[in-house]
Amino acid sequence: MRSWNDLEGKQPVAVEMLKQMLIRNRTAHAYLIHGAPGTGKEEIGHLLAKSLFCKDGVGANPCEKCKDCLRINSGNHPDVHWIKPDGASIKKEQIAHLQKEFTYTGLESNQKVYLISQADQMTINAANRLLKFLEEPNRQTTAILMTENSQSILDTVRSRCQVIALKPLSPFHIQQELETSGVTADNARLFAVLTNNLEAAKALDQDEWFAQARKLVVQLISTLQSKQDETLWFIQKQWMDHFANRDQLEMGLDLLMYWFKDLIYLHIDQQEAIVFRAYLSELEKGIWVWSRKDTTQILYAIMEAKRHIVQNVHPTLVMEQLTLQMQR
Amino acid sequence: MKFIIQRDLLLESIQHVMKAISSRVTIPILTGIKIEAIEAGIKLTGSDSDVSIESFIPKENDGIVNVEQIEPGQIVVQSKYFPDIIRKLPLKTLEINTDDQFQVNIVSGGSEFHLNGQDAMEYPQLPVLHTDNSFEIKNDLLKELIKQTVFAVSTVETRPILTGVNMRLEDNLLNFVATDSHRLASRKIPLSTENEGLSFKDVVIPGKSLVELNKIIDDSEETMSISVTENQILFQTKNLYFLSRLLEGNYPETSRLIPEQSKTTVLTQTKALLQAIDRASLLAKENRNNVVKLETKGNNQLQISSNTPEVGQVIEEVTTESINGEDLKISFSAKYMIDALKIIQEDHVEIDFTGAMRPFIIKPHENEQILQLILPVRTY
Repeated sequence: MRSWNDLEGKQPVAVEMLKQMLIRNRTAHAYLIHGAPGTGKEEIGHLLAKSLFCKDGVGANPCEKCKDCLRINSGNHPDVHWIKPDGASIKKEQIAHLQKEFTYTGLESNQKVYLISQADQMTINAANRLLKFLEEPNRQTTAILMTENSQSILDTVRSRCQVIALKPLSPFHIQQELETSGVTADNARLFAVLTNNLEAAKALDQDEWFAQARKLVVQLISTLQSKQDETLWFIQKQWMDHFANRDQLEMGLDLLMYWFKDLIYLHIDQQEAIVFRAYLSELEKGIWVWSRKDTTQILYAIMEAKRHIVQNVHPTLVMEQLTLQMQR
Repeated sequence: MKFIIQRDLLLESIQHVMKAISSRVTIPILTGIKIEAIEAGIKLTGSDSDVSIESFIPKENDGIVNVEQIEPGQIVVQSKYFPDIIRKLPLKTLEINTDDQFQVNIVSGGSEFHLNGQDAMEYPQLPVLHTDNSFEIKNDLLKELIKQTVFAVSTVETRPILTGVNMRLEDNLLNFVATDSHRLASRKIPLSTENEGLSFKDVVIPGKSLVELNKIIDDSEETMSISVTENQILFQTKNLYFLSRLLEGNYPETSRLIPEQSKTTVLTQTKALLQAIDRASLLAKENRNNVVKLETKGNNQLQISSNTPEVGQVIEEVTTESINGEDLKISFSAKYMIDALKIIQEDHVEIDFTGAMRPFIIKPHENEQILQLILPVRTY
């Protein structure tokens, strides 16, 4: 289990704020923690619950040894209620249970903590039932709502909570997290740049479609470099088949963009910034084909293509135009 | 932990604590039974977090040894398997011992069970209640108190505080009040023992817990002691502790609801009135509100009627002992009236009306301890 200090590296602002609140004993009655997946919402919520209950903690940190801490860790604390979506959404019975708990006194003391994961999954009805408690808080009751999307929380609920915004993870942090979870360093780098969220990055690692897409990008580049006559055929035959919808097309263009960005890095000799590390030899071949100026122009062209895709220009035409621009 | 115990005694204790254990709990540890061995005996605990039941098996009872070779310790065992295992063991005695890996070994004759237990540290800590804040009451009296009030608690959760029974203790007078905002039931009992200075008024016990308690205590002359803490109430008989969480919030001030004067007073036989209303409600049931109409007639006659156009009509004449005051026509829910009359054991009942749109009071004749209040229904 991590302490506040461990989380501080990831979320310096939010953690510092919560720590000060705990030390000065000025906790709010309700918190809304929001941040992208993987930013540590649940960890912070969990730690906050422990800090509120633990009596032997040093400063803001819980002791991790007392009964309260141990039982919160194992999910057996009678006065900590953690509501998680049962299936797709938070069910009516779950809120009913919570409502019943609001009206009862605590089992051990009057201190109670409620945690609601993915609070945006509450129906409007469920959220309105919660409101009553948020409006008339009990002195020793704390609600911790966690969500990925604070905008889909009812205004009336949001305005009654102290909002704790978590920073999106920096690519560097995601890369580190990915590496600790067993992704190779080269891949971790690429995934971290492509998405700014940990879960999505992990999903990419398992995605066969993505592996194939990456291969196609490398193939397209090598076709551009050596067999220019075949590029249009390649686009028609393979590229358009694989990148079938708009999201996929955008992903393809993103990959291309990072490739050419890497070329720029090679040109200006900043090898440490390169994303496609696994394909360094292919990249180096590119230096001989595209000059720095060419590369910049291609990058502009890719951005233009991305804009076109969004504007519903026919995808095949967009890709054909782009490849023509990429051929010297 | 280790001890050797009489099987039947353990089984009886298990059956007591099992009443508190529910299969639908949010925290996993509550599916278990906590077993605690101390020098004085064995204590079992079961809980669904709303109510908790503790059963104590003393080491010795009137010179009969119940438990032997006690080595103190505690463990939580799965309530799904433990009771059945104990019930089917071959011998009259059994030995339970545990190791540090939370393994529970149950040995009786040739059979030997090894169960996976859980750390008792994980189990909720029930408050240790101070005995100086307690009072005593006879079992049968308490059962009566519960029976005469708990039916009136609200079943809808819109005002959660009303799903409980308000317990007050003032000037040695114990008062239970329950209301669902359409009717009210109140019962007072003077306490026999001296409890100088002990008083509380904002204790609200969930109706469900009281129903449960009513099932558990046996109808006897024995006394039980009741103690209240900030968040729990403890009902304690000799070897059985029943703990319930309380409802949080302020109970509405009910004393002002009760009208002090009356315009019409009816004195009648409880049974006759109850049966008449019961019959009249037969047709009223079709009607969603279950409404019957009551009308005073001359000559101490009371007419109870109900009319559901698509079904039919019923008219009941009841001869009362006396009717004093203004003439009256009033409509009310037959169900509430039946509930109220059912718990009155006295032969005669007195009903005080203060007009057709005002609540009326039902109480046993010459008994101020029971008071029932019902709100009339507006009809056109």
